[in-house]
Amino acid sequence: MSVALPIPLIQLLQVLTVAVGAPAVTGVIAKVEARLQGRRGPRLLQPYYDLAKLFRKEALAPEGASWFFLAAPVIAVAAYLTVPLLIPVLTSYPLPLGYMGDILGGGFLLSLASFVVATAALETGSPYAQLGSSRAKTFSAITEPVVLFVVFTVALLTGTDLPYALAATVRSNAGQITRPAHLLASAALFMVILHETGRIPVETHTGTSEFGMIEEARAFEHSGPYFALLKWGSQLKQLILFTILSDVFLAPWGLAASQRIGAVALAIVALLAKATAVGCVVAVIDNSFAKLRLFKITEFVAGAFLLAVLGVFTLYLGGG
Amino acid sequence: MSLASAVQAAPGVYEGAANAIAAVMLLLEFGMLRQALARDQVRLYAAQSALISVLAIVIAADRNLPDLYALAGLSAALKVVGVPLVLRRLLGGAVGDEETPGVAGSQTLTPATAVLAGIVLAAFGFFCFGALGIRGPGNGSTPATALAIAAAMMLVAFGLMIVRRDVASQAIGFFSLENAISLAALVVASGLPLILETAFLFDLLVAVVVFGMLIRVHRARAQSLSTTDLTRLRG
Repeated sequence: MSVALPIPLIQLLQVLTVAVGAPAVTGVIAKVEARLQGRRGPRLLQPYYDLAKLFRKEALAPEGASWFFLAAPVIAVAAYLTVPLLIPVLTSYPLPLGYMGDILGGGFLLSLASFVVATAALETGSPYAQLGSSRAKTFSAITEPVVLFVVFTVALLTGTDLPYALAATVRSNAGQITRPAHLLASAALFMVILHETGRIPVETHTGTSEFGMIEEARAFEHSGPYFALLKWGSQLKQLILFTILSDVFLAPWGLAASQRIGAVALAIVALLAKATAVGCVVAVIDNSFAKLRLFKITEFVAGAFLLAVLGVFTLYLGGG
Repeated sequence: MSLASAVQAAPGVYEGAANAIAAVMLLLEFGMLRQALARDQVRLYAAQSALISVLAIVIAADRNLPDLYALAGLSAALKVVGVPLVLRRLLGGAVGDEETPGVAGSQTLTPATAVLAGIVLAAFGFFCFGALGIRGPGNGSTPATALAIAAAMMLVAFGLMIVRRDVASQAIGFFSLENAISLAALVVASGLPLILETAFLFDLLVAVVVFGMLIRVHRARAQSLSTTDLTRLRG
């Protein structure tokens, strides 16, 4: 068990863990959600079967759609797979490409992915896909300030905006965990994640009514492998956001501190366990709240904004 | 304050916890600001009062002040149980859980706007008090932050009383204003004699009696709790 893995391999493993683990996390959430509702629920591996089925199907594009319509899912998945290089997924020490971008860089990649998907949806001319992309852009514009204030909090806590630095700061002593700025920023980030992953109270994840859809509606016109890429992309985004929440903010423990194969394997298990735990919380929230009406989402975002702003305030007086 | 001086060692666990409690109290104040039903506002008020008792216990343990334990118990009995009970009786009347007309829909601002306005008020209070640079016993940072949060809470409570047009919300705004003052008193002058602290608590009782009278009289005259009925003079 004392074989040391080369650094590039660990870096590759970060991406692979997210890529392969994402559908499993989605499967667990669906299972927990079903159990809470008294149903038996789909198999844990159901998302993999869904993706495999879709990858085998024929792809069609609406008439008049350009090459961009088909390129968008690929670009989106590429962007999602780049983010795990920037954040601590498996290791507590920064990997060489970890300093390629900071939190804002990761945020830009995530918004790039969401932007190309929305643009592709606009290309189709389908009213529901356009409705979805217009709503998704409107609401992501109002969640942007929240994300910025969370980044400010991180910057004031660590003097940098690198995810590795914040994780190290949180690990350094118990006082860092109880400081209000950290708690407020984490809560605000969690609310943003609920919004970004299309969960209750913002959006029904399993709904079929187009009028309530935001992010879900954007993929309506895609089919076959391209639809599979979009689905996989949203699962990747979910796991990436859960990883940021647990490995950077809430529980940066269980990461590998060395290059030994045992430590890295343990980190993979720990990451999936933590993401599943966050997923269970999300499933409970999904089952205990009603979906907000579309125009009430601003209130939800205003709440998240309040948390993030208060986080920065408390830091400014030195007591946060 | 420059970035370099803001990046500093985290406060101790006690201080962090005290500041976090103060911050949650401010959040509950915002909850009252945006909550539409008086029932839920009363619940939030009770939660806020419970937190101030917890804070009193934290400070008592941290600074070794045994009479604060007594104060925490007294304040919990009065503000977590007593005042919400009286308020619920006044608002619910004999019909039980039914909402009295005039409370729901009394907002002058939409909830999101109210929260944003509240953030502006809170920022004003926060930085005004922060600029005073008050330091408490033990050279800790608790007073500066928690005192500033208390100031923000006072302003938000005032905001609550301004943006709502019903007597119930205004009463709750006033009572939570008292919570904010208690918070400020606790963090700055926690060593105050018990008799004085208790006297402050009994001030609250006077306010409860006055607002109780107001709610009763207004309800008997106008059959609602909305203050829009008070804009016209009647012979």
